[in-house]
Amino acid sequence: MNLQYQGKRISGVLAVVPRNEVKFDDEVQNYNFSVKQSMKLKKIMGYDKHRIVTEGTRVSDLAIFGLKYLLDEGLIKRDELDALVLMTQTPDYLMPPTSNVIQGKLDLKPNMVCLDVKQGCAGYLVGLMQAFSLLEQDAINKVVLVNGDVLSRKTSPQDRNTFPLIGDGAAVTIVEKDPEKDSQIFANIRMDGSHRNALIIPAGGLKMPSTPDTAVMVMDEEGNSRSLDHWFMDGMAVFNFVVNEVPPMIKSLMDFAGTGLEAVEYFMFHQPNKFMLQRLADKMGVSYDKMPYNIVEHFGNSSGATIPTNMAFNLGDKLLDNSYLTCLAGFGVGLTASSMLMGIGPLDFCQMIEY
Amino acid sequence: MEDLYTELAEILEVDEVKREDELEDFENWDSLTILEVASMADEKYGGTIESKEVKGLITVGDLEDLIKSKM
Repeated sequence: MNLQYQGKRISGVLAVVPRNEVKFDDEVQNYNFSVKQSMKLKKIMGYDKHRIVTEGTRVSDLAIFGLKYLLDEGLIKRDELDALVLMTQTPDYLMPPTSNVIQGKLDLKPNMVCLDVKQGCAGYLVGLMQAFSLLEQDAINKVVLVNGDVLSRKTSPQDRNTFPLIGDGAAVTIVEKDPEKDSQIFANIRMDGSHRNALIIPAGGLKMPSTPDTAVMVMDEEGNSRSLDHWFMDGMAVFNFVVNEVPPMIKSLMDFAGTGLEAVEYFMFHQPNKFMLQRLADKMGVSYDKMPYNIVEHFGNSSGATIPTNMAFNLGDKLLDNSYLTCLAGFGVGLTASSMLMGIGPLDFCQMIEY
Repeated sequence: MEDLYTELAEILEVDEVKREDELEDFENWDSLTILEVASMADEKYGGTIESKEVKGLITVGDLEDLIKSKM
């Protein structure tokens, strides 16, 4: 589905990463694989270090820390925030929305919209779409988009398919009306609910509430152990989905926008791992310097927060003074794939802080 | 398909592979290797391999036949 927006822009990006850094090399003994196999995995996937929250840290903690920093530094003001959109798969509660928790703890004004949306690796794209839609209203001029997940808390440390790639983190993106009212943003999105089981936490919802039974660790035929309370990934299904869906989706986006890949200055894609991103770049014929793929290596894959983390880590100050025609893409749980073409920058802020 | 055998040997990190070699005998025959094989098949031979198709395979020859069937 093609979507189009005008007169909206991103004005600031702040990534929040937990201070606690864990090395892949120190976790090799947790996995039921030979050291040789794990070192091969490290090399191919680009694993090295990842950021994991300490016990008990919630997504609201990361979000409040980031927003409080922006408020304290004078980079945003309480009374100008008309909506708070939180994209997460790891909310504090089933009810109320975690966005209301954040609003209440920060004393944000009551005259605003708070919204939780459950999305994963395409969460930055879906969140921007939500923000753009809210900004259609005369009463809404500035939206805070928060992408955050603490997926390590739902990941088995003995699952070599998932634990090495995971990173916790959050990102705050300010989305607002663009004084350049004609600025165009092009996007597309596809959903494939027939593959909803390819990325899933089986227990903990109302279909299968968490019990002592769902917490029992079970080893699969390959030697990975996890419980039904843990996150599961069918890596092959996700890989096939991404390499088959994303390149034609980007081609279709370029056609829709009436431009070509050569006009794009940066491809800021979701960061699943180095292997998949290099494969995508090769398949699309895009050079690696235009498509950074080092976020998993340094921080881990923080789901919907990887794109703004990528912007803060790899572009940072460059986005304070420049504007780049940027192609965003997110793909994952759902399964969902989405892409967007927009000018990004100059931003009021683009940086990273540690929680 | 000599190229395919070279590619497979490289992915399995051995000097050479033969049609009758059993996949389970390779130390590196795991989900990562299967993913690499799928990626290579997609890149070089233009076919999508599903994990359930790989599960029943016994020998390198079976794998070769699967990749060829997708071309």
